[in-house]
Amino acid sequence: MMTKTSMIALVLLIFMGFFPMFVDSAWLAVGTTFLVFSVVAFSQDIILGRAGVFHMGHALFFGLGAYTTAILNVQFGWPILATWAPSVLIPMVCAFLLAGPIIHLKGDYLLVATIGFNIIFIQILENDVFGLTGGPNGIFGIDIVRLFGIQFASQTYMYYMAFILLGITLFIMRNLDKSKFGRAMFYINKDEIAAQSMGISIRYYKLYAFILGAGIAGAAGSMFSVQYSAVSPEAFNVTQSIMFFTIVLVGGSASLPGVLIGTFIMFVLPEVFREFATARYLVFGLAMILTMILRPRGIWPVKFGNIPSFLKKDVK
Amino acid sequence: MDIFLQQIVNGLTIGSLYALVALGYTMVYGVMRLINFAHGDLVALSAFVGLTVYTQIFGEGITSLVAVIAVFMFTAAIIAVVGVLLERLAYRPLRTAPRLSAVVSALGAGLVIQNAVMLIWGPNMKIFPSEIFPSTIWEIGGIVVTFTQVMILGISAMLMVTLFFFINRTKMGTAIRAVAIDQDAAKLMGINVNRIIMVIFIIGSALGAVAGLFIGAYYRGITFDMGWMYGLNAFVAAIMGGIGNIPGAMLGGLLLGLFNAMITGYISSQWAETFTFILLIVILVFRPTGILGETVAEKV
Repeated sequence: MMTKTSMIALVLLIFMGFFPMFVDSAWLAVGTTFLVFSVVAFSQDIILGRAGVFHMGHALFFGLGAYTTAILNVQFGWPILATWAPSVLIPMVCAFLLAGPIIHLKGDYLLVATIGFNIIFIQILENDVFGLTGGPNGIFGIDIVRLFGIQFASQTYMYYMAFILLGITLFIMRNLDKSKFGRAMFYINKDEIAAQSMGISIRYYKLYAFILGAGIAGAAGSMFSVQYSAVSPEAFNVTQSIMFFTIVLVGGSASLPGVLIGTFIMFVLPEVFREFATARYLVFGLAMILTMILRPRGIWPVKFGNIPSFLKKDVK
Repeated sequence: MDIFLQQIVNGLTIGSLYALVALGYTMVYGVMRLINFAHGDLVALSAFVGLTVYTQIFGEGITSLVAVIAVFMFTAAIIAVVGVLLERLAYRPLRTAPRLSAVVSALGAGLVIQNAVMLIWGPNMKIFPSEIFPSTIWEIGGIVVTFTQVMILGISAMLMVTLFFFINRTKMGTAIRAVAIDQDAAKLMGINVNRIIMVIFIIGSALGAVAGLFIGAYYRGITFDMGWMYGLNAFVAAIMGGIGNIPGAMLGGLLLGLFNAMITGYISSQWAETFTFILLIVILVFRPTGILGETVAEKV
């Protein structure tokens, strides 16, 4: 039996699958970036929406993945395929090292500490500490994906690679919901103290979520650097982090359709209204305020965990 | 040694500005448990409003003390009104909503103010008039102290002492402290919480406005997006001193200013923020409640 939600999902899937055939290259690039940003938004959602860790520095892990691919490819001559594994692993290791000492902090302190990590990351990139990051200009001339002599050069290939990455991410997210890990995070998010007294290790699960989210963002970063064949610091600054943070909350945290809607509103709509360049962010800020006032839990909030209505009927 | 003393003077100047902005953050946080992300943009707005008030209404080249005081008062009043509107429109409807919804609303409000400034005054850097304060310079044993610096230090100290006595010695101040401790209990005692929150936003925004004008007078160049960085530094200062704690915000601001000046003087200004945040994270790891903050048992 198909529910209404899965019908919408199927229609959307078919539309996204054939999307490259209807549009020109500029819109195809927007589509690819939409897919990549959705992946990052889902990874932010694992940390912020599911584990409830106030994290506003996610562009750091997105950027780490992108820069890992860029540096290994351009400076050391690795093929792109070989850089995929390190561009996932390095953000995960960094997430463990950075979040380890601060994961116990209360919400707002974490918010500022994670913003701090992001700002430090940008200064390291801009000041070109190890002579590898190319300073404020970044790194140009990243290779394309090559496999068995086939060159995946066109934008259409990029689109489908991002599509597959989003598919993998959605698969992970679905399994998360049904696993012990997902349930534990849900309870932590609902009530930390109650969860702790049930024997759920808050520190373990929050770190787990942080590291998993960082890894997925790293994979998306690698894809992003190949799509634009260049990386530069401003693509990974705090403004970007705030965008990912807002996507999750405007869309609806811990909700799969919510995060997709959030990404669409926060990334694709500004592209549509590009001609109103100067005024669009003003309208945007107003829209953020209005959305939160009218729908404080996001546009498409998650239903999981609510008491089914047939149980509530008799209570008067 | 000269560099050291000079950096202390510079550091105290920047520190007073951070402290003024940090007071706005810490008072709002103390009462509403909300990081007012739009506060930094109010500071930037103040610099632009002040510039317009000065050049349009009083005409350029007027240096009389009365005119300068009038510019400060007028600008502070305008920013206070904007601050109250901000609370009414963006924060009050979300007082019972999940905490992060209010954070998004604050981020949105910051975006609105920042882009409104860009649309009104343009995206390019504007130069603050130099004659707003006399360009007198004192040299004391190799250290240069400008008139502007003396003004910043003096006025900030005066405002902070006034605020300290207002919070600790007046009826309204007592009400503010009561609301910060427990809003519901304060309501039962007959305190109008909405009015207290309005007062908080008036004071916080006016102090931020003074800081914004001083930033214009001291650094001269003002840009529409400068509020974010001042805001972030000031918020870090508020956390260092103990968020919600008013003397803590003053101390945190001064210490952060000194720390920043030492990093700029001895290492490099390119690394200023990195060191600021390393310091913040070290403080958070070893003393999460800040220097003057008290440990509060969490309510279940």
